[in-house]
Amino acid sequence: MVTTEQDTAAVELRDVTKQFRPRSGQPVTAVDGLDLRIGRGEIVAVLGPNGAGKTTTLDMVLGLTDPTGGHLRVHGTGPRSAVAAGRVSAVLQTGGLLRDLSVRETVRLVASTFPQPAPVDDVLRQAGLQALASRRVSKCSGGEQQRLRFALALLPDPDLLVLDEPTAGMDVTARREFWDTMRKDARNGRTVVFATHYLDEADAFAERIVMMAHGHIVADGTTSEIRNRVSGRRVAADLPDCGADDVLRRLPHVQHLRRERDRVTIHTTDSDAVARVLLSELGARDVEITSRSLDDAFAALTEDRHVRAPADTDKADQLIEETAR
Amino acid sequence: MNLTYAAIELRRVARDYVSMFFVAVLPAFMYLIFGVSMDYGDQAVGNGNAALYTMIAMAAFGAVTATTGIGGMAAVERMQGWGRQLGLTPMSDREYVTIKAFVAFLIALVPVALIYLLGSVTGAEGSAAAWLLSGLVVIGGAAVFALYGLAAGLLFRTEAAIGAASGSLVILAFLGSVFFPLSGGMLTLAKFTPLYGYVALARYPLTEGEIVSTTGAAAGTDPLWIPLANLLAWGTVFGAGAVLLVRRGRGRQ
Repeated sequence: MVTTEQDTAAVELRDVTKQFRPRSGQPVTAVDGLDLRIGRGEIVAVLGPNGAGKTTTLDMVLGLTDPTGGHLRVHGTGPRSAVAAGRVSAVLQTGGLLRDLSVRETVRLVASTFPQPAPVDDVLRQAGLQALASRRVSKCSGGEQQRLRFALALLPDPDLLVLDEPTAGMDVTARREFWDTMRKDARNGRTVVFATHYLDEADAFAERIVMMAHGHIVADGTTSEIRNRVSGRRVAADLPDCGADDVLRRLPHVQHLRRERDRVTIHTTDSDAVARVLLSELGARDVEITSRSLDDAFAALTEDRHVRAPADTDKADQLIEETAR
Repeated sequence: MNLTYAAIELRRVARDYVSMFFVAVLPAFMYLIFGVSMDYGDQAVGNGNAALYTMIAMAAFGAVTATTGIGGMAAVERMQGWGRQLGLTPMSDREYVTIKAFVAFLIALVPVALIYLLGSVTGAEGSAAAWLLSGLVVIGGAAVFALYGLAAGLLFRTEAAIGAASGSLVILAFLGSVFFPLSGGMLTLAKFTPLYGYVALARYPLTEGEIVSTTGAAAGTDPLWIPLANLLAWGTVFGAGAVLLVRRGRGRQ
């Protein structure tokens, strides 16, 4: 058998598209020609606003829904067979639990569907559920139910664990507890892909961030890359115009320039170069360099492109081209 | 079959005391009231007596209450996300249906066994064939109503709808001449309602088609094809409805 590089990827999507056909009206494209490769052992956060196509993408990876077009492999096979082999598991955003079962019964029930599940007690312990084992699911809090879903996901001891907004609707304490549990589990070599709304979670837990909007990937890189390369920094200075703006605009890495009287604000991916020009050549004063937050980057990358200024649209297209490479 | 899954499912249904009351206790109670304690209980009906005639109806009512509830529960739990959870396991749809059918069968046995036992000690009389064959039809025919519950669950998607579907069986039982012998125009109408065919077929080994009336004289005779056609027709309607609704659910995903 010819083993190529693609066989070793945990997740491989090539030009994957998903269209929904409502019974009335136009077909809706939820995922549009997505290319994504996730290597084994990577911990990846998928970020994006509602309707970005995150859940649809993850559902396709899990074999819960079929792509309309494109090529999708999970550990070198189709999603359904990867799931059946216990190589892939997930904590679903709206995974139903049977409310009238106890925690232990739920774990035993799902364990019974796998040929060689992890021992029920081990899984309960890993998810921190021993004390709750005999509690009815309906009496568990949202965070406890989410830990139960996590316990279920551990049963096949999967190589790839997918988490779809695992902490949605939890309070801060429950979110921290959940990620503590996750961190303890993080066994060597397990690939983790999680969707989230919370940038701090992506920042704290992921090594790589994939940002999605409108069914496309708009950015893909490490957390700091996303912050720096994509959003860059904001450089502000006191500087009368007198032709200085044209000089600044011609500099490479300047994304955007805004002027309010004598105060100029520049968005740039190379703040050092801009600051040097400002201070040495243009004689600017009171130079201030601030890091744009991940939230800024997120908003800039995922906001509706129809409301974007034309100049920014060009930048966004350029970015998409860059990240697609 | 996955016996662990089936055992947990069985325990789950059995400890839902409210449902089990309607499945087992209520029909048994109704048998004691309408079958045992009435004067007409001893009257001869076909190959047995009126107590047996009532007993078969109550056992059938208990059995369909069980299968409707379990069919509906299966539809609702799948749509409320358990289907997605099971989609992350090697379990196939076929295996899931097999387990649910097995659980429904065992739960439906509870009222039938209970009421037949009560009947045997409280004066229900009939030929051995009437006892045995009626019991088999009650158990087998109840499966059709699992499809009824399934379709209702798929259509309305809530637990309340399952309660309503189970509750509607009371009305269908009256309309189907199950609890109380209808006559005249109501009887003609009854022959087109879902529970009529099932219960008339279960009673056939006892009555041989003779239609019992409240006045003592037979209200007529059903040839065997009438209850059979009724059961088949409704089975087809419920089955086709369930298939259509499953397809609609898939398309919407």
